[in-house]
Formats: sequence, structure tokens, C-alpha cells
Amino acid sequence: MKNLIILVFCLTAVSFSADAQKFITKTGHIKFFSESPLEKIEAHNHQVNAALDAATGDFVFKVLEKSFEFDKALMQEHFNENYVESDKYPNALFSGKITNIKDVNIAKDGVYEVNVEGKLTLHGVTQAVKQKGSIEVKGGKLIGNSKFSILLSDYNIKIPGAVANNISKTVEITVEISLEKLI
Amino acid sequence: MKNWLKIALALLALGFITGAVVAYFLYNKPHPDYEKIDAAYTLAAADLYKEFTADKNKAGTKYNGKVVAVTGKLSKVEVKDSLTTCVFVFEQGMFGDQGVRCTMLPAFREKAGKLQPGADLKLKGYCTGFNDTDIILDKSSIVK
Repeated sequence: MKNLIILVFCLTAVSFSADAQKFITKTGHIKFFSESPLEKIEAHNHQVNAALDAATGDFVFKVLEKSFEFDKALMQEHFNENYVESDKYPNALFSGKITNIKDVNIAKDGVYEVNVEGKLTLHGVTQAVKQKGSIEVKGGKLIGNSKFSILLSDYNIKIPGAVANNISKTVEITVEISLEKLI
Repeated sequence: MKNWLKIALALLALGFITGAVVAYFLYNKPHPDYEKIDAAYTLAAADLYKEFTADKNKAGTKYNGKVVAVTGKLSKVEVKDSLTTCVFVFEQGMFGDQGVRCTMLPAFREKAGKLQPGADLKLKGYCTGFNDTDIILDKSSIVK
């Protein structure tokens, strides 16, 4: 019985310790932007799920494609129907790691440069991604920022021939997430 | 210039102008007014959550991209930056609370911000899908 109590205590302690390092948000922001001589396209998604384990650096974010908002309704329709095919592929997912998480002192406010490596799944295609970013520790929150570009063809996203010259073949993605400790 | 040529040129010009006007209005057409669109489905928020967690592909085919009305007791209201979200919580998971999250239209943010947990509500919004923790109803409005 005594051993059982010790075991339960140890498991609870381990579980608490693990949770104490977990930071999440459900309102992260991802912007994508592309520009060509004739067309500037910008969309925002403010409902990004993201989680970071500050002990291991494991990092994941998930995006619902239909939650991207465009200024123009027609662009939003084309994005969902012709490009990301959101009925068929409703989510985009990044799963990876901050490889130098040990350099981030979550107990001390400041801005830390980080390296992110992982896999991005978009339009049903998974590609390895390696990017730089930053984490700002501020008042117990972790504010993550990263900006990178992807090639649409890497994710098998085809641009119709009629507008091929009006739409950029690369898209710049900006990630801004404010992670709070999971209580 | 011969008359038939003048008529042909005038028709051509008219066709071109009409096409340009149609293209302009299509290009600049407004977003749907989600408050005024009738809900394709009305059900308890708990039942919507159950359907998605039981089979997200089947439920996604049924609800994603549709306006859905949900009823239930409000768990909490989250206000963050420009977002006001009414949340129906049904279980705990990797991201904490899991359930149905209704992101309110600007016109309903102030009213939603004053709602109290436990309030009986009927909300309507555009279902963008299930992200493995929550079902998102975007552009939501308060029905009653």
C-alpha cells in the first residue's frame, strides 16, 4: 500500500512537471501573402491551434483552411475550391521541434532566436521545413514569430493556366502566436 | 463606314463593356452575410461535438462550409484582441478545453461579451471544420 501511494505521488509529480512546461493557444495568427505585378493576395487566420512543450521543444500547430479570411470573397472562394481544396484537405499541420529550446529561458523575459525543424502538411502533401524564428518571453507568455516562404508546386497546388502569370508561385507565410501556460 | 459595320462595332463595344462590368462586380462581390443565411442544420452543440469526435471525415463532409445553428449552455466567453468567442466545453485534452467555439461577428461581440457562463443559447455560424480539439463556427451570431 505504501509503495502504491509513493508510485501515485511520483506519477502525479511527473505529470504536473510535464504540464507545467506546456504552452498553448487557440487563437494564433497566420498570414499568407503573395504578390505579382497584377495581383496582391493576403489572407489571415486568427484561429490557429498551437502547442509547445518548453521542456522538449516539441511544437505543433494546426490550421483550418476555411478559417482563412480574404478581403475579396472571390479570392476566398478560389483559395478554398481551386487551390487548397479545403473540402478534401480541411487542415494544414506543422509538427516539429525547436531544436535549440535549451537556449530559451522561460523564467527570464527577453527575445530568443530559435531554430524550427519539422514537417508541414498542406494540400495533402508533407514536406520537411527548417526555419528560423524567435520566441519572446514576456510576463509568463511565449510569443513566437516566424516568417518563411513556400513554393506552391512543392505542395502540388496548381495555378490555373489562365491566371498563371498573375499569381506568384511562392507564398510568404508569417506565424505569430502568443502561447500561454496550460493550467 | 457601312451601317452593318457600325452596328457590329457598337455590339462588340457593348459586349466588351458588359463583360467588364460583370467581371468587376464578380471580382468585388461582397462576402456572404452569415447572419441572414438560414442554418442548414440546427442541433445541440454537444451532439455536433459527438458527431465530429466519432467520425470527423463524415461529419466534416456534412457540416464544413455550411451555416450551422447550435444550442446549449454556454461554458465561457473568451475575448482576445479583436476576437470574441463563445465556447461550449465538453472535455479536456492536449489543448485544455475542447468543444465548440463560436467566433462572433463584429456586430455581436459586445452582446456576447456580456453573456454569463451557464446561459442557454442558440448561436449560428459558418462551420470551418474540426481541428482535432474544437469545432469552429466562424462569423457567428446570437439567434436567441
